[in-house]
Amino acid sequence: MHDEDSLGRLSRRRYWTNRITESVVGVGGGAVIAAITLIFAYLLWVVAPIFASAEIEASGQFQTADRNTAFVDISENGEVVSRFSEQGVVEFYDESSGRPVAAFDLGLQIKKIQRAYPLVDLYAVLEPGGLLQFVRSQHIVSFQDGQRQLKSSVDFPLGREGVQVGDVTALETHLFDEALLIAVANGTDLALREYRNVELGYDLRDARQVTLSTDFAIANLFIGPRNQWVYALGSNGEIEIFGISNLRKPTRIYKGSLVQQGQQMTAVTALLGRYSLLVATDDGAITQFGIFTDAVGTRLDAIRRFETPEPVQRFVTEPRRKGFLAIDTSGSVHLMYPTSGRQLASFEAQIDPDRPLVISARSNILITAPTNDTIALFELHNKHPEISFSSLWSEVWYEGYDEPIYSWQSSSADNDFEPKFSLTPLAFGTLKAAFYALLFAVPIAIMGAIYTAYFMAPAMRSWVKPGIEIMAALPTVILGFIGGLWLAPIVEDHLSSVLSIFVVLPVGLVLLALFWSLLPEQRTRMFNGWYGMIVVPLIVVTVYTAFAAGPWFEEALFLGDSRAWFRSELGLDYDQRNALIVGLIMGLAVIPTIFSIAEDAVYAVPTHLVRGSLALGATEWQTLVKVVLLTASPGIFSAVMIGMGRAVGETMIVLMATGNTPLMEWNIFEGMRTFAANIAVELPESELDSSHYRILFLAALVLFAFTFVINTIAEVVRQRLRARYGSL
Amino acid sequence: MSQEFDQKTEKGTFFRRWFASGEPWIWLNAAAVGISITAVVGILLLLAAKGLAHFWPSDIALITYESESGEANQVYGELIELDTLPVEQFLESGGPNTWVAEGSQIMQRWLVKTGNRKVAGPDFRWIYLAQIQTIDYPQDVMAIERLEWGNAYGTPVSVKLPIGAGVADQMQNTQGNEVVEVVAKRLQTTRTIREQIDGLEGGVLNRINNDLERLRLERRKIELAGIDVPRLAGIAEEEQALRAEYAISSAELRAMYSELNQGYLLIETANQQSIRIKMSDVLHTWQPNPMTSLQKTALYFSNLWRFLSENPREANTEGGVYPAIFGTVLMVLLMSVIVTPFGVIAAVYLREYAKQGPLVRIIRVAVNNLAGVPSIVYGVFGLGFFVYFLGGNLDQLFYPEALPAPTFGTPGLMWASLTLALLTVPVVIVSTEEGLTRIPRSLREGSMALGATQAETLFKVVLPMASPAILTGVILAVARAAGEVAPLMLVGVVKLAPTLPLDANFPYLHLDRKFMHLGFHIYDVGFQSPNVEAARPLVYATALLLVTLIVALNLTAIRLRGRLERVYRGVES
Repeated sequence: MHDEDSLGRLSRRRYWTNRITESVVGVGGGAVIAAITLIFAYLLWVVAPIFASAEIEASGQFQTADRNTAFVDISENGEVVSRFSEQGVVEFYDESSGRPVAAFDLGLQIKKIQRAYPLVDLYAVLEPGGLLQFVRSQHIVSFQDGQRQLKSSVDFPLGREGVQVGDVTALETHLFDEALLIAVANGTDLALREYRNVELGYDLRDARQVTLSTDFAIANLFIGPRNQWVYALGSNGEIEIFGISNLRKPTRIYKGSLVQQGQQMTAVTALLGRYSLLVATDDGAITQFGIFTDAVGTRLDAIRRFETPEPVQRFVTEPRRKGFLAIDTSGSVHLMYPTSGRQLASFEAQIDPDRPLVISARSNILITAPTNDTIALFELHNKHPEISFSSLWSEVWYEGYDEPIYSWQSSSADNDFEPKFSLTPLAFGTLKAAFYALLFAVPIAIMGAIYTAYFMAPAMRSWVKPGIEIMAALPTVILGFIGGLWLAPIVEDHLSSVLSIFVVLPVGLVLLALFWSLLPEQRTRMFNGWYGMIVVPLIVVTVYTAFAAGPWFEEALFLGDSRAWFRSELGLDYDQRNALIVGLIMGLAVIPTIFSIAEDAVYAVPTHLVRGSLALGATEWQTLVKVVLLTASPGIFSAVMIGMGRAVGETMIVLMATGNTPLMEWNIFEGMRTFAANIAVELPESELDSSHYRILFLAALVLFAFTFVINTIAEVVRQRLRARYGSL
Repeated sequence: MSQEFDQKTEKGTFFRRWFASGEPWIWLNAAAVGISITAVVGILLLLAAKGLAHFWPSDIALITYESESGEANQVYGELIELDTLPVEQFLESGGPNTWVAEGSQIMQRWLVKTGNRKVAGPDFRWIYLAQIQTIDYPQDVMAIERLEWGNAYGTPVSVKLPIGAGVADQMQNTQGNEVVEVVAKRLQTTRTIREQIDGLEGGVLNRINNDLERLRLERRKIELAGIDVPRLAGIAEEEQALRAEYAISSAELRAMYSELNQGYLLIETANQQSIRIKMSDVLHTWQPNPMTSLQKTALYFSNLWRFLSENPREANTEGGVYPAIFGTVLMVLLMSVIVTPFGVIAAVYLREYAKQGPLVRIIRVAVNNLAGVPSIVYGVFGLGFFVYFLGGNLDQLFYPEALPAPTFGTPGLMWASLTLALLTVPVVIVSTEEGLTRIPRSLREGSMALGATQAETLFKVVLPMASPAILTGVILAVARAAGEVAPLMLVGVVKLAPTLPLDANFPYLHLDRKFMHLGFHIYDVGFQSPNVEAARPLVYATALLLVTLIVALNLTAIRLRGRLERVYRGVES
């Protein structure tokens, strides 16, 4: 009777509800799956740029007034180009438009000008008469009526008087920790002047001066880090290094040559930090020499070599990094980086090596003045030169070391520090932690699973399984806290007691089992399947006994001091938070994972197999070993794999229960630093999109891929097993 | 179990037969279970013992001992634990020979909490049994919980207080037996004043500051968009009004503080040194020695309550964990609001709507595997994608006026909840799918045969039947999220958040704020705090709280799953 209209309306509503539900579910389901793939894609997207190749491209040039260009530079933020001409005029140009912004006359003639020192915002200007001046250029940003304004200016922050240095063949200055050091070479003479308590804005006061001499005419001078030493180089690779930490008593600490017999040095420079020198020879080779000092003395090691097709005529170094540009005789430019040993890019630019050349503070612009009335700019796309596959995974010879090493040291207080991004120690630490955890967890978890699935009384099993699940749910931060603050000091104080548990417990177990088998069987039968409970008092008693007997063990086995014994007899150092603690505590975190899966696998073995075996006369134990375990072994394997995945990625436990030092020792009494802990410690402090940031993402990607692959293998094995059970 | 029928071994010795029977190996396997059980129970007991003991008002001992230089010395303190160490270690660390009893291999010593930091050096010290001459428990010794510098122990000597409210200059000095009573009364007053101050600071002043900040941002927005003169004038007016209000309230606040900051309590330490404590620094006093067990129990629960309900003090090493509880719960709630619909929809899609084939199988394996991906990886993704990428772009689009100070481009509550939702979504999917698979096909077919659409079958038949499985999944997800710390360290947790993420200021729920978390609290106080020894009991208490929460959640999930299994056994048969 109800008209078809209302029925139609109803069915329309039902139709649409159905359609909408379908699309919502489809879209929602798709979104969740997309989100999951997004994780992988995003990590990859962040990591990818570190392996991108570098590029150099010309980005234009602009006209300037026609004066003899002595020097060009670009401001810190890359906005203002400055040009110093020999007539003493400083002009500032807008980087993007080439428009002149300001010009100043310094009122002096420029014979030679250079940046006072990398990272120091001062120019050392030498007048023809031998007077040395210090000039500073400033670019100050201000806001006026909401408009951003940039004001460029020059001044003489150390006074107008200058320092008379006479004739000069080589010159370097360094302002460090309020001490200004001026090193001036004239032929074989080397004069060092040091001004103390130097403050910008105040005139220079009295200097302390010493004069040294070398066996060769000095062509290049470099002041070492923190004004500790000075390198004097001749025009063909002769070198002497003077220690000047105590300027009253300068000492020659090294003398030698940087080129082999028959070679000709074509260019030389010092890299940022002045821990190493770059020497180019006429055979097209570039050699990096690192200074190394130990008790024997100071020496220069040839750290690595680069090759160019033509001999290099000029080096230009990056002011904030250790990278450099080499310009060869054909005018080609080669961009290189020492730490990674990468030859990043080459460019046929026809750059005149004799003209002024500077790389900007952010290492993204190369600026030169090809003629006296032009300035040319080149863009350098070179964000992560210090990273290469080999610098991440192989031994690298860093500055300040006497051999190639694996090292992770991402930051330091110094600006001229060479970051050490070797992932090998972290991978090693990750595997070490996982290894010791599994060493402890695998036997216990698997044996426990076997007992629970095969022997245990159902009444006990019904609460042991949830109990183990609770164990899996224990927050790792709590386990880590217990490991680091409770267990670690106990193990340190009672090392021998803890070690003796590993001996006393099995002995006690055998005794208990023997005693049990001697009891009349009618009595013990009702306790079959409850052994797991019966051993608990034994474990408690054993631990107590071991601690009580600890001093005795200490005396009998380790001559009264176990830690000292391990150090002297086995060469094992002892850290309070070490791999033993991590193994025990992370083992506890991994046990339930392995246990649950292995228990399922053993429990699911079809009962007709067991019954058949028993019917053929095998004992329960024989059935277990020969039938049940054999059938369940793929499941147990996948349990171990998943446990390993968990151990590899665990963060809080290793963070709290180890010292987090990136060591490469298998010693169980020392700590480690793992990928996960390293990410947790360093990522919050790392600068967005820096090499460090991206490498930490790479570490996360490695973890992700590793656990994903391991879990997939485990899952596939498990599914096969399930199919096999089905067919049995 | 040992059926000894093997013909060959019958001639062998007892041991050979015994080993062949497998009996020792069975014991070994049993021991593995025993070790696991002992470890779990042991950890829970350890946390319970150490965590709960922290709130017990233990007696204060007067220890008379001989110092290393041989002088007699006295100190008040709580005896914390008795420790044993080998004589050699004692001598190596420079302990005097004379304290070693003849023929003894071990030295015993008490860890004593002596309090009185700033006056008497560190709060904790070791006193060897050999040093101790007597241990007394004097009736009148008082413990004083101070706002700063931890506890003080001593006998109350006198208290100096203003005569009445508002009469600042006239002070009355009380001595003798009445001191305790006067102090207790004054504490009630200071508590009231403190509550008023909190109300004012957290209420009116907080609102004014918030409004001022809002106006500042509005002005900046107008400046960025183009000048709107009338509105700017309006803002200036509003600001002036707010500042005037602020002046009034802050005058009120100053008055309250000056009332609070009056009065002194004078106590005497065991070696007759007097300590003057400002009454405003006294939070709590108690005299445990004459107390009955009942009184102590009452005090115990009051301490426990204060731990749960108060803010932390002294770089989190004292006071309560209320903001951490609040932050954990709020974050987990937000997370479950996000994770439940998405997890359920994804599971329904995989099980009910998608065509079953190799692709769905692969997706299922991938989802399963994601549950095994280390949590720190999610943290890294959360920081990179949510915080820097999404947050940075949101700031550019919607909050340009606040830049360069980031609004969402910095770790915060929303990103933390999202990251953990992503981390736990596989748990919900897997559990829901399991529930969906258990529903017999016949039920769906029956519903369809009666003419119901697929959506109707889903909402009226399938989902109601799967709801316990969904709930189990959500509970497990919540339990996992509550215990995770590593990813949170990257996406929003801080050691000390100045404000709660939920308050009376618009928009009430501040998704961009950073928050405190119980798990991170444990890590921070246990490993980053300057005075670990003093903070340790508090960390145990926090750990116990977290474990209780998580174990309770898990037990609920296990119960629920058990019931579910029983119900379906009925349906299937």
